[in-house]
Amino acid sequence: MHPTTHPAIHVAPGAGDVMAMVNEVWSTFVDAAPLFPTSPIEADRSRSAQVRVTGAWSGMVTLEVSEVAARAVTRHMLAMSEITPEDVTDAIGELVNMIGGNVKSLMPEPSILSLPMVAAGHIAVPSEATEVTRLDLLWHDEPLILRIHSLENDTRSTP
Amino acid sequence: MHALIIDDSRTMRIILNRILTGLGFSTAEAGNGQEALDAIAHGPVPDLCLIDWNMPVMDGYTFVTRVRANAEHRNITLMMVTTESSHGHLVKALAAGAHEYVIKPFTAEAITEKLELLGLVRNGALA
Repeated sequence: MHPTTHPAIHVAPGAGDVMAMVNEVWSTFVDAAPLFPTSPIEADRSRSAQVRVTGAWSGMVTLEVSEVAARAVTRHMLAMSEITPEDVTDAIGELVNMIGGNVKSLMPEPSILSLPMVAAGHIAVPSEATEVTRLDLLWHDEPLILRIHSLENDTRSTP
Repeated sequence: MHALIIDDSRTMRIILNRILTGLGFSTAEAGNGQEALDAIAHGPVPDLCLIDWNMPVMDGYTFVTRVRANAEHRNITLMMVTTESSHGHLVKALAAGAHEYVIKPFTAEAITEKLELLGLVRNGALA
């Protein structure tokens, strides 16, 4: 008898689903949801936050925001005018944690969600990772980019 | 009534703290399950714990199993507040002894509604 290999089902989250998640997180904890810009925006990766999903689906969810946006988001989330750099790191990390957790729920299970990693500047992804979903958004005129990378070969979108 | 908020995110602890104090709870905070167990051991024993799932040192699921293994703490109400939204996680948490399960992002109304279902809150204030 010949061994049979069954390729795993690998999917990418649809941009519409991801945008709905971003809207829900923003409208719940920040304020008005980000918008799709009407003209190209210049990326500003002053602050980046990332969570990784490992398991039946493996990939990374990365949020990249300007410093102005990062601080404004933090003030909204904490409802405080005076914030520290540690507050900003924690708030941005929690945002990507919530978005990443919801992305994970769309993907094949079981999988594990990492703790968030937050950095000044850009967070690199492995060279074998493929960007499968990207949202370039504006929030109060500040750029906000959400990128999802898959470590799988097949990048079909979810229905 | 005393609540212990267990989450490694200070942001989330502040948000939940605001909701609970608004309902009349006194609160304490812990950054992971082990810190929470230490807090309970040293008192006061909380009436309610809000528990994140993914945390360093000790995760929320392990915390729930450890609390439920101690008969002295059977009166503590345990509510998961987490990004883990799969049915499998929910079933696992409830089977381990959690009473309720809230998925992030949540509204203050959603937390209040769950606490009303648990009988801890009535008409927007402590029961």
